[in-house]
Amino acid sequence: MWSRTVANTVTYLLLGLGALITLAPCLLSVQTSLKTPQQFAAASPFAPPAPPSTGSYAALTVGEHTLFPPLVITMQVVIVVVLGQLTCSVLAAYAFACLDLPGREWLFRVYLGTLTVPLTATLVPRFVLVSGLGLRDTFAGIVLPTLFGSPYAIFLLRQFFRGIPADLLDAARIDGAGHLRVLRHVVLPLSRPVLATLLIITVVTHWNEFLWPLIITSGERWRVLTVAVSALQSQHNGDWTLVMAATTLATCPLLILFVLFQKHIVRSITITGLK
Amino acid sequence: MRVLAAFLLLLLTGCSVAGGSASGRTTVTFRLWDQQVAGAYEESFAAFEKQHRDIDVVVQVVPWADYWTKLPADIAAGTAADIFWTNTSNFGLYADNGHLSPITDGQQAGWTRSVIGLYTRNGKLWGVPQLWDSIALFYHKDLVAKAGVDPATLVWNPSGIGDTFLPAARKLTVDEAGRSADRKDFDPKAIARYGFNAALDHQAIGGDFVGSNGGTWQDGDRFDFAGEPETVAAIQYVVDLINKHHVAPSAADTNTDGDKTLRLFTQGRLALFQSGPYHLKSVQEGAAFDWGLAPLLTGPAGRVSVVHGVAAVASAKTPHPDATAKVLSWIGSAEGVRPIAAGGYGFPGVVAAEPEFTAYWQRQGVDVRPFLDAANGTTFPAPAGPRVQAGTTAALPILQEVFLGRLGVPEGLRRAQDAANQAVAE
Amino acid sequence: MGSRGFPVRRTLTGYAFLAPSLIGVGGFLLVPVLVVIVLSLHRWDLVSPARWVGLDNYAGLLDDLAFWQSMLITGMFVAIVVPLQVVLGLLAAVLLDRRLPGSVVFRTIFVLPWISAPLALGVVWRWIFDPSDGAVNRLTGVRIEWLSDPDLALPAVAAVTVWHYTGYVALFFLAGLAGVPAQYHEAARIDGANALQTFRLITLPLFRPTTFFVVVTSLLTTFQTFDLVYAMTRGGPAGATDVIASLIHREGFVEFRMGRAAAMSVVLLLLLITVTVGQQLHFRRRTTYEVS
Repeated sequence: MWSRTVANTVTYLLLGLGALITLAPCLLSVQTSLKTPQQFAAASPFAPPAPPSTGSYAALTVGEHTLFPPLVITMQVVIVVVLGQLTCSVLAAYAFACLDLPGREWLFRVYLGTLTVPLTATLVPRFVLVSGLGLRDTFAGIVLPTLFGSPYAIFLLRQFFRGIPADLLDAARIDGAGHLRVLRHVVLPLSRPVLATLLIITVVTHWNEFLWPLIITSGERWRVLTVAVSALQSQHNGDWTLVMAATTLATCPLLILFVLFQKHIVRSITITGLK
Repeated sequence: MRVLAAFLLLLLTGCSVAGGSASGRTTVTFRLWDQQVAGAYEESFAAFEKQHRDIDVVVQVVPWADYWTKLPADIAAGTAADIFWTNTSNFGLYADNGHLSPITDGQQAGWTRSVIGLYTRNGKLWGVPQLWDSIALFYHKDLVAKAGVDPATLVWNPSGIGDTFLPAARKLTVDEAGRSADRKDFDPKAIARYGFNAALDHQAIGGDFVGSNGGTWQDGDRFDFAGEPETVAAIQYVVDLINKHHVAPSAADTNTDGDKTLRLFTQGRLALFQSGPYHLKSVQEGAAFDWGLAPLLTGPAGRVSVVHGVAAVASAKTPHPDATAKVLSWIGSAEGVRPIAAGGYGFPGVVAAEPEFTAYWQRQGVDVRPFLDAANGTTFPAPAGPRVQAGTTAALPILQEVFLGRLGVPEGLRRAQDAANQAVAE
Repeated sequence: MGSRGFPVRRTLTGYAFLAPSLIGVGGFLLVPVLVVIVLSLHRWDLVSPARWVGLDNYAGLLDDLAFWQSMLITGMFVAIVVPLQVVLGLLAAVLLDRRLPGSVVFRTIFVLPWISAPLALGVVWRWIFDPSDGAVNRLTGVRIEWLSDPDLALPAVAAVTVWHYTGYVALFFLAGLAGVPAQYHEAARIDGANALQTFRLITLPLFRPTTFFVVVTSLLTTFQTFDLVYAMTRGGPAGATDVIASLIHREGFVEFRMGRAAAMSVVLLLLLITVTVGQQLHFRRRTTYEVS
């Protein structure tokens, strides 16, 4: 009994320490965002803002540094990419898992091979290609390279689809259902967990995406949130109260979503880990 | 299917926002890096559009930090603005590669001569002068008076002979216990207020010190600063101000934050701030104390200021050259640059509008004559050449180490020069 | 089925399903690999016309100190980050797996950094490490120039990277731990093994696949770190944090040496393919061994 108490105490101590290290920077930044530049310069960064000021947030929402357009563009990008990527990946995975095609195995191996291509290495050529298509600094330029499905998603979905009993699919086919109907009414409903996982991973990845939008756009027209925060930081370097408010605003929407759906999200993420 | 429809709709709205004037007006885009001056241009173009109802001028701001990394990409992709701001370091590359249209405007006689000189290359003029900058010394009136320093008479000398500047800067630097840097018990680890803004800043500090010591920076398109004893001595003096005498903030603060010294000055934590008219507005808005302007420091070779000009250049690939020429001609007229001068944003590139700038600052109680005197005195050329930007980029990390005190000045300058010239030669 | 041949109609349907992804995989993954090879044989600054230079860019890389320094730094960065991340992630998972009241709250907290944009977090940490205004120096009262000291910058960025991903890694281990059947633990306890022994002898070997997955993912992600470095140091001071992604970005999109950036990309590509294939071979042998 005694050793159990000790173990529990140690566990809580370590977990608490971890939570402190994880949260402290975030909380400090939120606290800083609620100060005026004068309060920030005058007092320790650990002193609570007295009184809290929403000046930075006003400037970032309705004021001159508004992050509203980047927020809308980020949401558009995420929605378009997520829908496009999931649709295309589902179609491809269905073909790989459930359709008998000439060259299927060979093609699948090519897809798998592209998993080893690091994005960093294709940055320069992708930029040249998209610029060459006349799509630099356009919405299409931002979403196009990731719109048509990802090999990772295709791989994951194919594994899942292959686990669906063939009898189920055959029965549906015998009833006269076309492939699209089978996909919609049999395969997809059975694949909810893996679809949810991909949904979350894709949303998080593209909400936080920085390097590609950074190089393919210029100026304010098509700025996504991450690029807007980076630009704000380099323009108002040292104006930490404003910059911390911007980082808080840029991360908040996803964090709120995460806390609301955290049970599902954690379960979904771990599915990919078990594959 | 509903999902698909919604998806297509989004894709379309995403694209359609990019579309623009359906009104039959020609849209001319104008790009610059300064958010404040952009307001003045909006005002200017509003007047222009009243006279030319068929032209719509759109002002785009790309911040300085991204400006030069976006421009080549935009030029290559054809997404560059029809007219854009440039500095001397960058226009040469674009001019030499046929991306700019030469200026053939008849109003040239009315433009600032020195800026015309900076933008003339291969016998042609490539930009319409918009603003020019020279360097002077901003000072905090109370601090300077209390220390008994007359900012207008400061002389620096690397040999120490007749150097009145360093003693003044030491008197003006104070630690958290209130002890100034000329006292033995001064604590350089806890400085509350600095004397001077020595930093890696070619325009406001480096070039001026080198010039006023009789040194050089460039020889033609190549860099030539490591072999000149005057240049090395001047840079050594500046670096010593930071790392040896502790009268300037650490390069760890200023290397990656170009506005650090401006902020320190407006917070009352920097007594002498050598800078250009581009900081007048920020100082006016930020400083809650009395400040004044004095001529920049005098060196062994006299007072020598870097004079730099910003010009507007026209993309050779513009789809509507006629409308672009009209806009360009407008911003080359006194009327076109008037909002910039009258709003106090900078000395205009059109001489006739200059009095309005001076008058604006007179109304604010600031005498901007030190800038005019600096421009009319001995000047130091701003960096120029088609590859100078590449060279400067290559030298930057090495010079940063020099200013941090991690690399000796002679050796660091040698390495920086080699790296810069290698980049120039590529 | 195959013996009956492939009816045209069914083949067409199948490829119709594959068509969109073929555009994506072909157009934005395979074609770029070809383009990057072609680009690497040219000298091009986007503004002047491109020039064919043969293997010059590769020859240039051989005696380019910045490139080798970057490779070394990337290696060091990976060597610091991946083990720390895996060990701390495992520790967090083991603690969470004890399922004491409140574990869910801790789990949520640990994953928060992963959900947030690395760019934004990098900016936050840049402030925390700021020499004059930063929280670390104000807390300790000692002025340390974290991000402009070449000896401290890389460890600082590495620490932030570990901080960013550890919670995410812990999630996978947590799932792996949940997959270890409870009766194994009971059997071990009856045999008189203590907690540490149980962990070492039962738990660790049983989730080797999880460990493998975590290590490979961490390795590939860490190798390509960009956002945090860009936000905190931009590769400085004096290239001390110039990991390969940061170097390629700067060569290509700041200094506009597209050919050189392309040559670096090709080297990186070859390197990562080697690592991945090597890992896979290693894993395959390991699995066979475990199964038998």
